[in-house]
Amino acid sequence: MDTLSNSPRAKSRAALPATHFWPATLAWALGWAAMLALDGAVDLANLAMILVLSSAVASLWLPAWASATAGLVAVLAFNWVFVPPRGTFSVDLHQHALLLGAMVLVNAILATLTGALRGQAQHANRQAFWAERTRSWGDTLRDAAEPLPHVGQLQEALAQASGLPVALLVLKSRLPAGNDSEQAVFVGEPDDDQRAGLWACLRQGKAMGPGTARHHELADLYVPLRGRGSSWGAAVFGGVSHALQANDWQVHAQVLCDQMGQALQRGVTAKDEQQARELAQTQSVRNALLAAISHDYRTPLATIMGAASSLDEQAERLNAEQRRRLARSIVEEVAQLSRMTDNTLQLARLDAPQVALRCDWESAEELLGSALANARKRDPQRRVRGRLEPGLPLLWCDAMLMSQLLDNLVDNALKYSAPDSPIEILMRRQGAQVILAVRDRGAGIAPAWRERIFEVFQRGADPVDTNGQSAQAARPGAGVGLAVCRAIARAHGGELKLRARGHGGCSFECSLPVKEPPPEPPEATEAPETPENLDTRLPP
Amino acid sequence: MSLRVLLVEDDRELRRTLREALLVEGYEVLTAASLSEGLAMVTHGTGSPSLTGAPTIDIVLLDLGLPDGDGQSLLEQLRRQQALPVLIISARQAEGQKISLLDAGADDYLVKPFSVGELLARIRVALRHRGTTVHAAITHYQRASLEVDLPAQRVRRDGAAVHLTPTEFKLLARLVRSAGQVVTHRQLLADVWGAEFTEHTHYLRLYMGQLRAKLEAEPADPVLLLTEPGVGYRLAEPAL
Repeated sequence: MDTLSNSPRAKSRAALPATHFWPATLAWALGWAAMLALDGAVDLANLAMILVLSSAVASLWLPAWASATAGLVAVLAFNWVFVPPRGTFSVDLHQHALLLGAMVLVNAILATLTGALRGQAQHANRQAFWAERTRSWGDTLRDAAEPLPHVGQLQEALAQASGLPVALLVLKSRLPAGNDSEQAVFVGEPDDDQRAGLWACLRQGKAMGPGTARHHELADLYVPLRGRGSSWGAAVFGGVSHALQANDWQVHAQVLCDQMGQALQRGVTAKDEQQARELAQTQSVRNALLAAISHDYRTPLATIMGAASSLDEQAERLNAEQRRRLARSIVEEVAQLSRMTDNTLQLARLDAPQVALRCDWESAEELLGSALANARKRDPQRRVRGRLEPGLPLLWCDAMLMSQLLDNLVDNALKYSAPDSPIEILMRRQGAQVILAVRDRGAGIAPAWRERIFEVFQRGADPVDTNGQSAQAARPGAGVGLAVCRAIARAHGGELKLRARGHGGCSFECSLPVKEPPPEPPEATEAPETPENLDTRLPP
Repeated sequence: MSLRVLLVEDDRELRRTLREALLVEGYEVLTAASLSEGLAMVTHGTGSPSLTGAPTIDIVLLDLGLPDGDGQSLLEQLRRQQALPVLIISARQAEGQKISLLDAGADDYLVKPFSVGELLARIRVALRHRGTTVHAAITHYQRASLEVDLPAQRVRRDGAAVHLTPTEFKLLARLVRSAGQVVTHRQLLADVWGAEFTEHTHYLRLYMGQLRAKLEAEPADPVLLLTEPGVGYRLAEPAL
């Protein structure tokens, strides 16, 4: 942005020096000094040459009109001082008249040529300056993820280029139906008329004001920030004078404004694209959930239907033991359905933006204890064992969710390993993390599946199976469970990973970050009580 | 005289099933499908029977997520009138509401779907605690190897005296007085440390850990001092 804020003058590398009167005056003074000094020593034609030379040198610094005037005045003075009869404007010889005429003509030609050259140089400078400014502005916008914060720089650049107070209106997103100031950003200090003008210019997408085809009676010039097919804002230049109208800065200001307009449009398009992608993703998650519900829910429902209808229709022909077995299977399948429902709902909840966790300080020992208690209900042979590293810090987490995570992992391990193999819940510290691991001695999971099993409704495929038969059929509904486990771990700033174990089996490891523990209660290390102090502290 | 249960549940099927299960167990069952209906039954049913002619209610099973309110008003009404036990029946989504009702004095909760066995066990415990404000509170506890005698301030494990710090004892005593029922974190913190400590859950983690270390055979796999994740603690129901 440095180049954008430089003035054209500072940037110019002109073939001609800029307009200054003092070097020109100096050139003339030196010329006249030389002529007066040489008067009488050289003839009149040589003195005239000095005058032409002075005029040529002076014209380097003078605008064309000043150069021409100075030349004319000099020739008249020359006539007065040097051309006989001296002290008068009359010319007595024809050759002197010719000399004076030639001098006037040469002066005029010099003035015109240098003037034209200077004009071209200035124009080229201005073009170069605008090109540079446009390029750097384009760079700024291209590098910016969000064009809106750069709107202040645009205002600065436009104000500097025009020398006028500039105000901008920039839309935050698509054009609102009404002129809603909430939907736009104003830069500068537009008054109410200018605000209305900015909205009008934005809606019409065309410049208006002096020097344009529209509303040239206005005092201010309005320029839209045009994108492709629509405008994204407008700029107003306060009080444009007639002198400024002739300048070509308006064209360039429009270029800068359009660059901003296009950048804004790109930003909105990118946002739309992002939204569409997210929508598509939500849609695919929803489809996966629906696919899961239709598949995973049918099996337990079929079992329940079978058992319940049998009880309903054949009750009198079944013996007590058969009835109990049917009822038992209904209870078990309902528990399974209920767990799947919890998982599916939790997954949908965690998938939503801004999930509110109910975090509190939780003890690893208690998480383990309740996981073991829940496991007992599905694990009458007590295959599940707990192991806890002593001195673990308190964990900042949502106890319900962590309990759901452990239940799912245990459920998964029970389902996917041999009925007599051990399962271990291990909690230990590892650096700045606490690892909650559920480890089994099952068939393991093929490397290709180690990430995919965490995707919604993927199921571990058959490759690893010691019995040579597909393990697939015996593994219903693992997909939601592991997906929700990973979602829970991530919602806590942790991660859930699967590690293959050395001698076969899986270790699902949830890592949770350890947070600065809260201060301990003041009497945490109190001495064992004596009956006396016990009496004083107990309620009656 | 059989005990009377008021079941406030809006789902007709569940209402009928639970009613039948309770009838089989010998309870008398009144049902209400909405909060206002339940409220009306409580207002007319808990007063003196000789005055209103309506039956007395002994325990309320209150479903959350009723069409006409969140149950808080009914609970307040019950608490104003008498110490009538209230069991909350909640779906898993209603966690916050469930805890706030427990904090407000509901006795215990069940998460749908639950088994009849669980329901009956909770009702039994709640009825045993009924009227603790009038009658002698539970002051003795015994289960597995643990024996607690509150008046004597004595705690024994496998017959040997266990030394507890005053805070540990206060915490255990609070759980013994509600043995078999869940006690929320807030209730424990308020009763043991004081009302200004209700957010200091980490105190509980520490002292419960110390209690488990002193009273449980396997502190990481407790059978007495049970954790209800996100809700509170429950001392296992005493052996009869």
